[in-house]
Amino acid sequence: MRYLLSSIAALALSTGLAQAQAQTDVPDNLEKLSAFQTTGVTDFTFVEQGGDYAEGIKKNLERIKMPPGFKIELYAVVPDARHMAVGPQGIVTFVGTRKDKVWSVTDRNKDRVADEVKDFAPSLRFSIPNGPCFSKDGFLYIAEQNRVLLFPAAEFFYESPDVAAFNLVKQGDLIPPEEESFNHTARVCKIGPDGKIYISLGQPFNVAPPEKLDLYSKVGIGGMIRMNLDGTGREVYTYGIRNSVGHDFHPVTGELWFTDNQVDGMGDDIPPGELNRQTAMGQNFGHPWYGGGDVRTNEYAGQEVPVDVVMPAVEMVAHAADLGMTFYTGNMFPEKYKNAIFSAQHGSWNRTTPVGARVMVTFIDDEGNATSEPFAEGWIDENGEYLGRPVDVAQLRDGSILVSDDLAGALYRISYEGN
Amino acid sequence: MRLALILGLGGVLLAQAGLAEELPGDPEAGRKKAGQCRTCHGLNGFAQIPIAPHIGGENPLYIVHQLTAFRDGTREHEMMSVVAKALDDQSIADLAAWFSSQSVTATLPAGATEDMAPEACVGCHGADGIALIEDAPNLAGENVVYIETQLKAFRTGKRVNDTMTGIAAELSDADMNAAADWYAAIKLDIPPVK
Repeated sequence: MRYLLSSIAALALSTGLAQAQAQTDVPDNLEKLSAFQTTGVTDFTFVEQGGDYAEGIKKNLERIKMPPGFKIELYAVVPDARHMAVGPQGIVTFVGTRKDKVWSVTDRNKDRVADEVKDFAPSLRFSIPNGPCFSKDGFLYIAEQNRVLLFPAAEFFYESPDVAAFNLVKQGDLIPPEEESFNHTARVCKIGPDGKIYISLGQPFNVAPPEKLDLYSKVGIGGMIRMNLDGTGREVYTYGIRNSVGHDFHPVTGELWFTDNQVDGMGDDIPPGELNRQTAMGQNFGHPWYGGGDVRTNEYAGQEVPVDVVMPAVEMVAHAADLGMTFYTGNMFPEKYKNAIFSAQHGSWNRTTPVGARVMVTFIDDEGNATSEPFAEGWIDENGEYLGRPVDVAQLRDGSILVSDDLAGALYRISYEGN
Repeated sequence: MRLALILGLGGVLLAQAGLAEELPGDPEAGRKKAGQCRTCHGLNGFAQIPIAPHIGGENPLYIVHQLTAFRDGTREHEMMSVVAKALDDQSIADLAAWFSSQSVTATLPAGATEDMAPEACVGCHGADGIALIEDAPNLAGENVVYIETQLKAFRTGKRVNDTMTGIAAELSDADMNAAADWYAAIKLDIPPVK
């Protein structure tokens, strides 16, 4: 990470094993921040925005192909950039990672390029804080491996290292701690039209084993849970998901749509990836009996499927790794993009010839039929090497969209200039 | 700063027998086979995604043991179990030879000295996170979550190792945090492959 200008090198280092023992009274600073106390942490880590690294990214963006009239530019250098939450005031965008940081990205002078990228709430110890999301009234939620924190008025308080923070779901309560894993643990949250928070919980296996299924159904692992914004009323909303890393609600119907990553090791061209549409609470989307689409898994081959399964709205190319998505509600793009889905394909990891690493657009007709096509592509070079791996798509208030990339460590902005 | 240059000339000094570790690995053959590793681990073994460890400059025996364990099902990971199933002993030996032939440099952050390193770890993993024994991985520059995940897996029994199972059983969450912080803060460099 040579592009990190670290101002807190000493912080992480002052803790040897012995010293850490003394800190166990306060496992992290959440208690202090919940009581609006200061923690003594004063330094931010700032990410350099210019220089050779940014130039290299800009050069790669010249290869990206999009429909006529669209333009893609580097918006910010953000290490390990995963899912994004754009503040309702349009001041700051929060970006999660699969490591231990959340980044705040600010465009102060509104030239549509970020001026400042620094870590959010540096006195807190995050663990896989992949999924930030905002409520309409400016509460920031961050879904981690096994906790969900909420930050009131984060868009205004993030300038201070000490920002008021509270548990929505306290450490160890999102899933049983013995079920924790690193893979398939990039959680995504969004607030639904019903004012509840919807959180995806991937199951950690390639194919979930039979002995886990009862527990998973109960907790909502391999599914999606929802709860009220005060943490009450938790319930499992969706079943039969393998590993969903992106969801959003249709702006008109309010229905939940989500991507799901499908089973590996069955061949280069099966099973298909999925974009799903859920029309009622409690629907089951087929894992582990189905590996993707109507392809049955080897592990459950021939077994009777004990549930009614909803098949995907769109079958995506196999192994492309469909991740973050957003419905487009802006006014900048041509009319046909209104209420379309923009979604990111991270790209395959062990397919013989890599596929994905692009932004897809999905159009939904009046009857609810959906068709997907590539929107922005070119992040796989002629050697089959990744120049970038898109993760999530979010809409800015001006109607342009941001795309995050956790390989390049960047946010891109796609705007429409017209004919 | 210390330069660790580990030559991947295949299995020498073997204590325990296993098929792949008795085979001499060919780094160039391994390089060709590493195409299936590089999306996550990088062609030079410098990890491209947080859930994957850096494996460039690793001791060849450690790589052989882990790939064999994934293949045999004694270690499980939803991605690695899929990949390793397709590897024969020669491929494992070649991949181990390729990745271990990468030179790695570990640099402590400013203000840190080796005596601040976590006591329970340094005997095998080194103060700078470059392993001192054959069957231990380098930890330099691995991210915090990766190290903690592995330590917790040893503590719960999801991952098993004669040495680590016992050590992890004695560690609190705070100990694990501290050990992970120490090694994650060390800068690891692996030159890109031409």
